[in-house]
Amino acid sequence: MLILGLVVAAVLGPLYVWWQNDNPTVKRYGIGSAVAVIGAAATPFAMGRCAFNEGTSGVDHLLAYSLMAGGAWLALMIMQALFDRSDGKKSDSAAMTGEIRTGGFRLGWWVPWMLLSPTLIILIWFLYLPAVQTFTLSTKLTKLGAPKSVDVCFGNFTELLITDPWKLVAYPLLAIAAVYGARFWLGRSERGTWNRKGAEVASMFAMLSIFVAMYAMFSPGGGGQVAYRPVYLNTVIITVGIVAFGMIGGLAVAYLAFRKIRGGSLYRTFLIWPYAISPAVAGVLFFMIFDPTAGIFTHTMDVVFGIDVPNYRESAVLAQSSIILASGWKILGYNILFYLAGLQTVSTDQIEAAVIDGASSWQRFVKIVLPALSPITFFLLVTNLTYAFFEVYATIDFMTKGAPAGKTSVAIYEIIRIGVNNGDLGRGAAQSVLLFAAVIAVTVWQFQTSGKRVSYGGS
Amino acid sequence: MAEGLTPGVKRRTWIRGRQWPYHISLIVTAIVIAFPLLYAALIATQTNTEIFAFQMTPGSALQSNFDAVWFGRDFAGAMWNSTVQTILVTTGKTILALLAGLAFVYFKFPGKWIVFFLVLITLMMPTEVMILAMFRLVSGLGWQDTMAAIVVPFLASATGAFLFRQHFANLPAELLEAAQIDGASPVQFLTRVLIPLSWNVIAALFVIQFVYTWNMFLWPSLIIRDESKQVVQVALQTLTNIDGALTYGPLMLAAIIASIPPAIVFLLMQKPFMSGFAIGQQK
Amino acid sequence: MKGLLKYLVLLAVVMLVAAACSSDDSDSGTDTTAAATETTAAATETTVAATETTAATATTAAPTEKIDIDFWVAFSDESRLGFANDRAAEFNEGHPEYNVRVTSFASYNDVFDAAILAVDSGEPPGLIHFFEAATRQALDAVDGDGNPIFKSVTDAIAGRTEILGEPVVLDSVVDAARNYYTVDGSFYSMPWNTSTTVMFNNMDMLNEAGITEPPATWADVETACAAVMALDDAPSGCITWPNHSWFVEQTLGQQGELLASADNGRTGRATEVFLESDGMMNYLEWWKSLNDAGYYTYTGLQRDWDGTSNAYLAEEVAMLVYSSSDTTFFDDNAEFTNVASFMPYDGDVDYVGNLIGGATIWMLDGMETTTEDGALAFLNFFSNPANAAAWHQLTGYIPITQDAVDLLESEGWYDESPNSKVASDQLAAAKNTPASLGALLGNFVGIRDVITLAIEDILVNDLDVATRMADAQAEAQKSLSEYELLFGG
Repeated sequence: MLILGLVVAAVLGPLYVWWQNDNPTVKRYGIGSAVAVIGAAATPFAMGRCAFNEGTSGVDHLLAYSLMAGGAWLALMIMQALFDRSDGKKSDSAAMTGEIRTGGFRLGWWVPWMLLSPTLIILIWFLYLPAVQTFTLSTKLTKLGAPKSVDVCFGNFTELLITDPWKLVAYPLLAIAAVYGARFWLGRSERGTWNRKGAEVASMFAMLSIFVAMYAMFSPGGGGQVAYRPVYLNTVIITVGIVAFGMIGGLAVAYLAFRKIRGGSLYRTFLIWPYAISPAVAGVLFFMIFDPTAGIFTHTMDVVFGIDVPNYRESAVLAQSSIILASGWKILGYNILFYLAGLQTVSTDQIEAAVIDGASSWQRFVKIVLPALSPITFFLLVTNLTYAFFEVYATIDFMTKGAPAGKTSVAIYEIIRIGVNNGDLGRGAAQSVLLFAAVIAVTVWQFQTSGKRVSYGGS
Repeated sequence: MAEGLTPGVKRRTWIRGRQWPYHISLIVTAIVIAFPLLYAALIATQTNTEIFAFQMTPGSALQSNFDAVWFGRDFAGAMWNSTVQTILVTTGKTILALLAGLAFVYFKFPGKWIVFFLVLITLMMPTEVMILAMFRLVSGLGWQDTMAAIVVPFLASATGAFLFRQHFANLPAELLEAAQIDGASPVQFLTRVLIPLSWNVIAALFVIQFVYTWNMFLWPSLIIRDESKQVVQVALQTLTNIDGALTYGPLMLAAIIASIPPAIVFLLMQKPFMSGFAIGQQK
Repeated sequence: MKGLLKYLVLLAVVMLVAAACSSDDSDSGTDTTAAATETTAAATETTVAATETTAATATTAAPTEKIDIDFWVAFSDESRLGFANDRAAEFNEGHPEYNVRVTSFASYNDVFDAAILAVDSGEPPGLIHFFEAATRQALDAVDGDGNPIFKSVTDAIAGRTEILGEPVVLDSVVDAARNYYTVDGSFYSMPWNTSTTVMFNNMDMLNEAGITEPPATWADVETACAAVMALDDAPSGCITWPNHSWFVEQTLGQQGELLASADNGRTGRATEVFLESDGMMNYLEWWKSLNDAGYYTYTGLQRDWDGTSNAYLAEEVAMLVYSSSDTTFFDDNAEFTNVASFMPYDGDVDYVGNLIGGATIWMLDGMETTTEDGALAFLNFFSNPANAAAWHQLTGYIPITQDAVDLLESEGWYDESPNSKVASDQLAAAKNTPASLGALLGNFVGIRDVITLAIEDILVNDLDVATRMADAQAEAQKSLSEYELLFGG
């Protein structure tokens, strides 16, 4: 089985060379083949080929193959960068390093290393080392304080997925096909036609299909199986909810407040202060408001509107909404702050020209203000996503602790529940790797879309 | 606050026509946003009995709630721990980021691009995704229940390093030439020339890091178990139960107290914060 | 950037003054306040110095080097942590050569994890406070070399009747606790907070509904609830209790049903867990029927002690099944006639017995003999009749020794507060069988979570009990098997 994977790599390596180079030599084909095999072999040999041992499932093999493909791909990319350099081609990385080719001080080589060493030591010791250990842990069955641990290979990952390997291959392929199909249609349609509108709708659904495919790939649980599908769904719902609420609300308030008005800066101060509030305090404040016994919300609904609101922790919709509301409220200040800054850059001339053209205020907003804000929107999207992935932990811990029946247990909350509260480090680490992959996906998307804009939020 | 951010764009004109609809809508919005805190402030003065009766006027228990929180549960100690942690992290991070920015912009050295990528890649490595391994690592060092555990891992920051790199790179090149003619060492150059020109960026980083560190919850909740070493955000959690049952007043009061330092820092430093960001975003 | 510096200085001063005020209870308070009025820079140094001297005075007061014994406690509330602090201070006064230091932790798990880590890093505490469900886990805990972390207190006492002048009270521990914590014939840890489940009744509300006696059986509860909910000013629910696995275990004990193999792990290591037993189904079906009828109020959180107790005190329910640990608290805080009674049981099944819950104090292995004797002396002092009785009166946890019970009786305490006697009476009524002793099994804490999560799912999402518990059974069994793989044999 393993040999089959290596053979495929040996064939695909030269294909990659053919695709990337204008006039590849035989030598380059040879190198491509060898590099692909080495890259593909790296993970199985590092892990002792455990995924192909007896008793492993099709899903295990599949995971092993995808890792091999990833390794081969990475090795080929590095090889290609070296080829390009020897060809004198400007690659992406050359552009990046060009940007850092500054200098001035002519002192010993060790001086810059001295200056960088504290940063490097801490980054390596407290970020790179634990990152590697997270991967190692994720292949083990181990508990805090246990005298021994058992290697389970991909077991911790396999149990998060559905058991049918064919479906696991088919779903992502279908989603990718949908995305490329929509992109193709988009390329073939003329601006402003119905055809174009159809293509735009289709590409939106195609993007959604990626999320649907992932939903279908995660294990639904039952019969003692791990249920990761609900965790994924909770994470998507709560993340989308927080980001949408926080950003739309932030933009709306900022649009209201950016005009020059008497006492403007005072108003702004009163709008943005929740930025300083912690997720934990946000959880505490909304815990009070929604408390079924003593909270003002239930009481008001009952006394003023005569509505008997059920305990928010007993209804999935209410519990998720309350988390979204608390977190969205907390991040609102941050979004208002940046949108206010962004709105200052919208050209007044353009708006005035639009007013003369007789555009309604809504049209002005959609046609002029929104596009002008798109860099800020994008920046906020990424920071809000990070917030919704991680910082929401404290809010959940104060408000629902995952209730009802795990419906507000998002990925990070589940990692702590499994890894720390149950002491199941291996499974927790495996789920951490998934979250890691999600973060990498967001960051790569960010780098690609925004041209290497550096994010300023978080650490 | 945000005026003067973008000198190139025409200044905002005063609103034409009547202003009062804007005033009213802004006041309403501000009240809605402030509501959770106002409500908490009300609850903070009340006893459980008053809360259960939905009394809408300040209660009788502010003093006793304060005593229960501040002295009874040593919330003061937690505030102190958080203050020390935040000051150490913020200061250390700024210094390390300044040094890294200096090295990136004003030095040429072999292997620079490797270091650059090493730092760059950490932007997509949030602590949270490796928190279990980090927990094992840091407790393996015997650092559980120590200040080191909640300070040292957070001293280095790619964000800070890149913020200063970008800022330094945009400064005029003549600065360095002049400094070299004077025979200044890199550290002298940093302290005498660069830092005085970077206060806005430093302030922006200071605010972000202050709020970020002060509001840290997950990591301290794992690595700090000893209640006397705990930071405020986590200490709040034990306050849900003051004396045998859920007591809302002290909890709300503590939540408000815990929010005061970052709120003060943020509000006082709004202006440099925003202009620091404007510098960061020019390019 | 003068503003920034000014602000930093200001912030530092505010923080310092605040922190200084908090340490006012010590003698150095005057120093600190004085220091705070001085210049900022000086204030920083003096305050730090002042706090250091406070710490220093404790150790330098005694002429000789004191032996430190760290005692890690999983309470952080003023009364219970305060009790531990006071007893430690008294002990230190009586035994000047020792210094018992109490450190507070937020939960049992926090204490345990911290202890494991401390053992690994070579600075373990002397005594830790750990709960009943994790007894197996504590027995299985080993250090890096594979040696058990904890030492049996029976072995350490080794038949002595007095240690450093403190009479040994281990032999006087009441049967219910002794039987629970005795494993392989040895009493491993010293019981401290021990309670059982009792029911608290708002008799004003029940009387109004025409119910004169606290309900005894499940059927009585239903009758009472039907009457209460029919009142004109009916509360929002009739009865509540925390969704905590302990209550499930209690009903299994009442019905004589085992939770785990090997006689609940009492005659060997439990390798199987039984979440689909008849007793389990019986109880969960009843619970669900109460919920469906609107009698049971679910607060929406698992292990929600605070929320359920609040619902009772706010008179949103008429009855609360709860730990006896808060008997005194309810007596003091209820603004209605609060009467404690036995936990309701199924009248159609022969009653076997309720079990205990709570925590014990474990002693770490590897201390010097003199240190260990100090720790043992402290344990026996801590639960001497006067202290055990005071602890009971403070909280409602049962008096842990027979001597303490006798003392309380002679003082007429039970006549004064009859609610406090209910827990001890209920435990005395239990037959001593493996079922009523409660289970010892690996990963019990995790399995408890599986149980409560399943119950929450059943109550909130209206699921079929048998189907949901089949899933829970599979999950719990997997968890136990993995535990046995890593820790067993």
